[in-house]
Formats: sequence, structure tokens, C-alpha cells
Amino acid sequence: MQLAFSKEDSDFRDEVRTWLAEHAPRQRRPRSGTAMRDFDLAWQKLQWEGGWAGIAWPVEYGGRGLSLTQQLVWHEEYAKLGMKPIDCRFVGLSHAGPTLISRAGPEHQAFHLPRILRGEVVWCQGFSEPEAGSDLASLRTRGVVDGDELVVTGQKIWTSFADLADWQELLVRTNPEAPKHKGLTWVICDMHSPGIDVRPIHSLDGHADFAEVFYDDVRIPLANVVGGIDNGWGVAMSTLSFERGTAFTVNQVQLSTTVERLIVLAREHADGRGRPLLDDEEIRRALARARADVAALRALTYLGISRNAQAATPGPEGSMMKLQYADLSQRIHRLAVEIVGPRSIGLDEADEETSYWTDRYLLSFGDSIGGGTSEIQRNIIAERVLGLPR
Amino acid sequence: MDLLASPEQLEIAASAAAFLAARWPTTRTRALIHEPVNIDGVAWAEAAGLGWFSLGLPESAGGVGCGLADEASLFREIGRSLACGPFLATVLGARVAAFGGRPDLAARIIAGSAVVGLVVPDPGAEVDGSEVSGRLELLDATDAELVLVAGPARASLLAMADLGATTPVGCLDPTTRLVRVEVAGVAPVVSVSSQVDPVERRGQVLLAALDTGLAEATRDVAAGHAKNRVQFDRPIGVNQAVKHPCADMAVQAELAWAQTLVAALSVDEDREDAELQALTARVVAGHAAEGNAAATVQVLGGMGFTFEHDANLFVKRAYVLGHAFGGERDVLSRLIELPAAV
Repeated sequence: MQLAFSKEDSDFRDEVRTWLAEHAPRQRRPRSGTAMRDFDLAWQKLQWEGGWAGIAWPVEYGGRGLSLTQQLVWHEEYAKLGMKPIDCRFVGLSHAGPTLISRAGPEHQAFHLPRILRGEVVWCQGFSEPEAGSDLASLRTRGVVDGDELVVTGQKIWTSFADLADWQELLVRTNPEAPKHKGLTWVICDMHSPGIDVRPIHSLDGHADFAEVFYDDVRIPLANVVGGIDNGWGVAMSTLSFERGTAFTVNQVQLSTTVERLIVLAREHADGRGRPLLDDEEIRRALARARADVAALRALTYLGISRNAQAATPGPEGSMMKLQYADLSQRIHRLAVEIVGPRSIGLDEADEETSYWTDRYLLSFGDSIGGGTSEIQRNIIAERVLGLPR
Repeated sequence: MDLLASPEQLEIAASAAAFLAARWPTTRTRALIHEPVNIDGVAWAEAAGLGWFSLGLPESAGGVGCGLADEASLFREIGRSLACGPFLATVLGARVAAFGGRPDLAARIIAGSAVVGLVVPDPGAEVDGSEVSGRLELLDATDAELVLVAGPARASLLAMADLGATTPVGCLDPTTRLVRVEVAGVAPVVSVSSQVDPVERRGQVLLAALDTGLAEATRDVAAGHAKNRVQFDRPIGVNQAVKHPCADMAVQAELAWAQTLVAALSVDEDREDAELQALTARVVAGHAAEGNAAATVQVLGGMGFTFEHDANLFVKRAYVLGHAFGGERDVLSRLIELPAAV
């Protein structure tokens, strides 16, 4: 047991830091649209050229094949630059790509994997539906085999970056008679196919990063089915990615950076009587507590990665991290707008500092919903860690 | 970086758990409530024989030479068992004596013949200088020869004999003994600066380990009850109003242990942010201990409110321990002044 990183991993950290310092984009990331897509993909191309594409992917599939600890190091250094934890490359690199690696045939792998790594395509995920949120397996979008095609009709929702995506990992019901987990099929869907209608959804922060997707007799080659008809549930669940929680490090490091920024801000901002906000007992205590809580979240991440490096399958630490992160992020970003003060009621994009905090505050409402609600995380922890009945 | 327990740590924890189950079952801890002294002399001597009071002391100082993370593994088990007695102050007291130039005294503490109680200074007491003055709460000092007073700058041992008449008071935690005393200008028997040995910092980490043990024990009690208690023909744990607090307890206990390990290793590896990590462990584990115990009382319902069920003892132990080495308010105000984590 040791906290210090090995010589090899420390040297690796230096290598990462040096490369990122020279190559990471310095310009502000566009907030939406094709400009954002171009930005994210250009950055992916740069990583590919530098040998940093797919750090978690096995080497034989073009990835870097890093150990969990080195993935952690990469994400820590990456996060320190203030890069977005999730951008439009996420599904390709962290879900669809790994699923293709573990379940698809060589042809799909040879076609899709290099395109993901080189930053040529954006993938999205067609899983959730209006009537299938937390209870994903009850999804209803129909897939009917017609000759050598699968004809898809129905609706997906909460599809991030659907309007910018080229491909989708799509989960449809091919057998309505089978029990709900048994009649599903995982298929690669070309987002440019006729019959697909993408309608952006504006989230409460005013942006439209996700969308509803409607399918009206969309014809997909049967060859695009991965894992076989009616075997889709297992395919969708087969890769909770190779990362085993290391990518989460980006969120955690950025929250810790946020707390340090807020401590500085509370020193600089005065209350109504000209006293630094940091001297206000309530703010001071809340910030001290936040500092402790983000440090403990890092400890939890380290413990989880230490375990996962040994375990055959990832443990439930992921749910613990996500749940705790959501709670902390909401608490800390609410504290942030309090420290920023009354200016935070304005939506003045010219005031970059203030609008950053306001934006983060609004976005934090999604932290306990996206990627599995906090209620679902609590169910998972209670049932899988403590063995409580369903 | 690897936070998985080593085989040695697993062995320390397993043998400690077995010994505690045999010598300090809760029935024994409860029986000691009615004795004049809450230290079981025989068991205490056996614990000394197992090296418990010198586990983290270097071999050159007569110790076993284990790291703080190993010691934390022991204290986690002590916390979980609810064993009573001044384990924490005795272990730290041995360090003060050893590093303060009193090997004779260290040897007696290590051997279990000199017991060390813990000072909780009342507000306004002077404890960080060369002499100690003011009102002091003394925990588990009824059979102690010495008491430990530990602050950020220095840690000292005071002789009970130098303190004058003490007043016994009932303690909120019936498994902890409390006496009060007011002193003026008492010189310590031996003292050590935190630059020589960060006794208080180690104390915060071991306290966090005790708290982690409490948090884990109550988590398990609550989960067990949620699984087994049947109402409306189903275990009550199927209800999210019961299930989700149990999940939160699991998260809090896990955070507490993860942070305790990071803090212990930060001290062992002499990292720049060791103090920040230690204070963080203290805060997070303290919340886990008190929060989990309180939530367990609620999950247990009426039984949780009785004295007969052990849940209340966990609430009380966590609350009383929350006053060691500065309460949360002091710890947080130190924490915010420190440089950021590295």
C-alpha cells in the first residue's frame, strides 16, 4: 500500500504534462453546433497524431492500452487544463467503441474504430426513451427484420449530440413477445439515414446538447446488428468501458479546482460591510467542508481504481463516486453563485467570470439525473453492496 | 499508488477483530459501565502483549515499526467493536514519551502498565504552551497515570498526580469515563514538538480510523435490520425511504475509510499536504460516524430509541469522540487556512 506513484508512473506523468502543455487547445471551446463538433474532433485528431488516442483501448485496436493508474494520471493532467470532462467524442471513445471492440466482428471494427480514434466521426447513444428511462429494458422502439434489413420505428430521447452525430449505438425491441431483457437488439445506425428526425431539446441552462430522435421506417442493414438479434441487452451492458471509472477523475479534479478558485474568490469579494466573504463564518465553514469533501472524493477514486486494477469486474465504487459527486457538485455550485453575489442573477455573456458560474450552477442540476439518477445509484449501492432486497 | 490492503494489514485487522470479539464484546463493554473503572486490566495487558500500543513506533524506540496506515487498520477494528478504554491516548502517549526523551515511561505505556487518558480542553484553556492552565475534561482517566494533551504545535503528557483533585462527572457516552479538573500552570512530565513527531496529526488520523469503524458497524446494523425486519409482509429494506439512507451510510463509510488511508499514507510518506489530508479524514470520518449512527437509530425505529439496543452507544461514542483534538469548528477553521492539496 502506498500513495506515491511509482517512478514509471511519475515519469509518465511528466510525459503527459509536457505533451498536453504543447498540444492542448488554448482557444475557448465553442459552446454549440458544428463549431463545437469541429473543435472536439480537431482535438481528437491531434491526440491521435500524438499517439494519445484511445488511451484505455487495447493496443491491438489502435489504442494506447494504458494501465488504470496511467489512465488516472492522464485524466488528472487533462483535467488540470480545464478541459470538458464529456464532449461529443465521449460515446465513441468510451461506450460504442469499447462495445465494438468486445462484441463486433472484424469488419465493423476495421471500419469504425480507426475513424473514432482519428477524430473523423461523432457517435451518439440511442438507449433512453420517453417511457424507458431508469427502466431502460422496457424500451419500445421497434426493429422488424425485413429481408437483409432491420426496419426501425419509434422514438429515443436524451440523445446527447444527436444533431452532430454520424453514427448511433441503437437499442431496439425486435421481439415484443420475449421477457423485456431478452427481446432487444443492438445495432449500428447511420444517423444520416432517411426517416431519422432529430429535434433538439433545450435544457434548463438554455443550451441544446441533447435531442429527441424519431425513427420512421428507418432501414438499417442487418449486417449492422452486433451480437445477434435479441441479444442486445448483453451487448449494451458488456462494456461499461475499459476505463473502470478513471474518466470520472476529470470531474473530480475539476471540482477540486473549483473549490480552490472559490476560496480565492471569497477572499477577493467583500460582503456589504466591506469584509472579505471568507471571513463570514457560514461561507468559511461551507468552503472548508467543500475542500474536505472533494479531497475525500479523490481518495474514494483512488481506492476504487486500486480495487478495479485487481478485480475481474468493476465494483460498485462507480455508483458511490457518481452519487457523491452529484451531491457535492450541486452544493458547491450553489455556494459559488452565492459567493459571486447579486451579479449572478444576470445572464451577461460579456461578463465571462460571472456567466461561467451561473452556467455551472444551472448545469449542476443535471448531475443527479444524467447517466443514471442518484435514486438509481442508491438502489444499486443498497442492493449490490449491502444486499438489501429489491 | 495502490490503496489495497497489504497481507500484513489484512492480518492485523483479522487478528484484532478476533481478539476484540473475544475480549471486548459489547456485552463486556456494557458490563464495564457499572464497574468503577472501564478498563479491563487483563484484556488491556493482553492488548499490550499484542503490540497494540507500539505498533507504529519505530523499532529503535521499542516499537513494532509499522506504518500509520497499519495502525489505522487496528483502530478501525477497535471503533467497529465499540471496545472501551483510552486506546488512542495511550498509543499517542507512548510516542510523546519515546520522542520526548522518556524511554522509561514509553516502555511502561507500551507494556500496558501506565495508562494514558485524553484531555479535552474547555474553551479558553491554555494547552499549547510550556504549562497547562484552565478547565479540562479528562476522558477515560479514572485509572490513568497520565493524560495526553495534543495540539497542532506540541503534544504533552501530564501526570494525573500533578492535577490535584478531579471531579467525576457522568459522561454522555456511558462507556467513556469523564472527570473534570481546573488547573493553573501545570508543567508536563514530557513534551514533544510536532516538528519532532506530529502526534496530533497522527491522532486525527487514528481518530478518523475509529470513526470509520463506528460508521461501518452502524451501516451493517442498519442494513441487517432493513433486510430482516418484515412489515406489511415484506422486508422494510424494499422501501426506498429505508433503502436510500442505508446506501448513503455505505457511501459515507467508504469515503471515511478511503480518506483515512490517504491521510495515513500522506503522514507516512511525509507529503506536503499531510496536515490537510489528516484534518480532512477527521472531518469526513467524524461526519460518517455521527451521521451513520443517527440514521441507524431511525432505521431501527422504536428499538433504536431504547438503551437496550447498541445503536445509542454508537451515537454517543461518535459524539464524544467528536470533541477530541479540537471539535469540528476548530478543525475546519484550520483546514481552510492550509495550502491546497498537492
